Amino acid sequence: MLSSVDQAKELKRKRQFNKRLENLGVYTILILVAILSIYPFLWTLRTSLSTSGGIFEFPPSLIPNEASLKNFITVTEIVPILRQALNSLIICFFGVVGAIIVAALGAYPLAKMKFFGRDMIFYALIATLVLPNEAGLIVNFITVSRLNLLASEVGQFAAVILPAFGSVANVFLMRQAYLGIPAELLEASRIDGASELRIWWSIMLPLTMPTIAAVSILQFVAFWNSFLWAFIVMRDRNLYPLSAGMLDLSGAFATNTRAISAGAVIMMIPILIVFLFFQRYFMRGLEGAVKG
Amino acid sequence: MIETPFDRKRGERGRVTRDTIIAYIFMLPMLVVKVLFTFWPIVFGTALAFATVNIGKGFSLEWVGLKNFEELFGFGEFAGRGPDRDFWYGLTNSLKYILVVPFIQLLSIGLAMLVNRTIPLIGLFRTAFYVPVVTSFSVVGLMWQWMYNQYGPINFILTSLGLMDAKNPTNILNNPVLALWAIMFVTLWKGLGYYMVLYLAGLQSIDRSLEEAAVIDGANRWQVFWHITIPGLRPTILVCSLLSTISAIKVFEEIFTMTSGGPAGSTYTAMYFIYNKSFGDYRFGYAAAAGLVVAVVSIFFAFINFRLTRGDQNA
Repeated sequence: MLSSVDQAKELKRKRQFNKRLENLGVYTILILVAILSIYPFLWTLRTSLSTSGGIFEFPPSLIPNEASLKNFITVTEIVPILRQALNSLIICFFGVVGAIIVAALGAYPLAKMKFFGRDMIFYALIATLVLPNEAGLIVNFITVSRLNLLASEVGQFAAVILPAFGSVANVFLMRQAYLGIPAELLEASRIDGASELRIWWSIMLPLTMPTIAAVSILQFVAFWNSFLWAFIVMRDRNLYPLSAGMLDLSGAFATNTRAISAGAVIMMIPILIVFLFFQRYFMRGLEGAVKG
Repeated sequence: MIETPFDRKRGERGRVTRDTIIAYIFMLPMLVVKVLFTFWPIVFGTALAFATVNIGKGFSLEWVGLKNFEELFGFGEFAGRGPDRDFWYGLTNSLKYILVVPFIQLLSIGLAMLVNRTIPLIGLFRTAFYVPVVTSFSVVGLMWQWMYNQYGPINFILTSLGLMDAKNPTNILNNPVLALWAIMFVTLWKGLGYYMVLYLAGLQSIDRSLEEAAVIDGANRWQVFWHITIPGLRPTILVCSLLSTISAIKVFEEIFTMTSGGPAGSTYTAMYFIYNKSFGDYRFGYAAAAGLVVAVVSIFFAFINFRLTRGDQNA
């Protein structure tokens, strides 16, 4: 007959066993979903490195045949992919800086100042989230054409970047950040006679840096990935960002799967690096944007 | 000098006036961009639906009343021709696409619950699930065309399972019956990590002591899930299913990068119609009218969604 101590031990062992069994189940599902999520990327990487053999094999393999970087050289020869990468960087840089300036300036009065029409502007911003905007691409196309932006190189870049500055999520994220700063700090500076611009620049902005980082990452990913608007607006194909260039590449050289996959890898590397390094900011920004 | 209440009031008012000017200077860039690229599209986009746009003449408008809608619905001047079949066919596919919403939501809730625990390597799994979310559809579309290729990995699985003829495999994206479902799967694949993160945030905001109390009171796992987790997640479910319903009706980029509406128009959607009419045929007014119909349909489904996920308030 078991003593009560033994019974307790037995119970504990049973519970531990159940816990292990559960973890085994959890890991099995997690690994399966992870394979599903990552497999297409590995397949693409493998194809971009292979230089011989069939592209599609039964059974599919993830080990490249005669691995080399030849396909990456080929893709630079058939499309101006380096120029497109530069275009992407230009769009991302000015896009992120501009979006930050617009949101950081615009959200400050909404969070920290009393002024005429504040509630009205706040509700108008919320309204833009729910009002139908299915014809947005059409009207924006007409607007940038009428502003004569499509005639020059700089203009075409501006046409691609400007509409994205209207992001309400950025403004709400910045507003949340300002709201988290204690009012006493602000009042003290105001009593000291500091100008509002000075308060914003030297007190408020430094305190919102984590949010600015989150907004920057979100905007960088958004600008790097978006292709449709650039595809519609840009007359000059040499100005295409990589994302829009991918459409061109896959359309014109559809049979050269190896070169296309090399292009896809070039397109993905920066975003993966940025994402892996700044994941924390990214997730925070995403959660905040939806909560706001 | 002694400050009188009158002075203070005047000072206060002066301060508000001064602050108002400063506030609007701060907001000027935001307001200009918002008005130009958000409010104007809503106003002008609605107006366009009642006009024809002359591209050649500096986008000048010619008001045509309800003519665009008559053409879409097939009455008035267009009674003999019947409704625009392309549009209604596309809209049907867009509505069919809503079927992806329950799958994406249930699976991402499940995934969020799986990753909402402190076990080794869990961060790595969360990252892996999120990688598709940060990848552009211009790459996702390409990759999945390869996955669905006649001799690609998906067909390898299907033929191994005996679901497809190994001697004569077909590309699912070339199959008019299956193509739309295959693209829905890609939407699910790309969206899962996004909603997982939102549900994870929702799960972590639920008061843990509620669950613990329920367990002490003898509730089993299913009861905890049903009576504590789900009600706690309700606000997140509402937002997520709303987002995913609206983007299902407006589905475009995955179609554009994978099938261009084919084969035989089987993946043609409402937004594809709008894109074709505007940037293919340059019929901006007609496309805007179709956009307005899609907007009304979206609002209707958003409302249904709201009613379904709000739950029974009296229960």
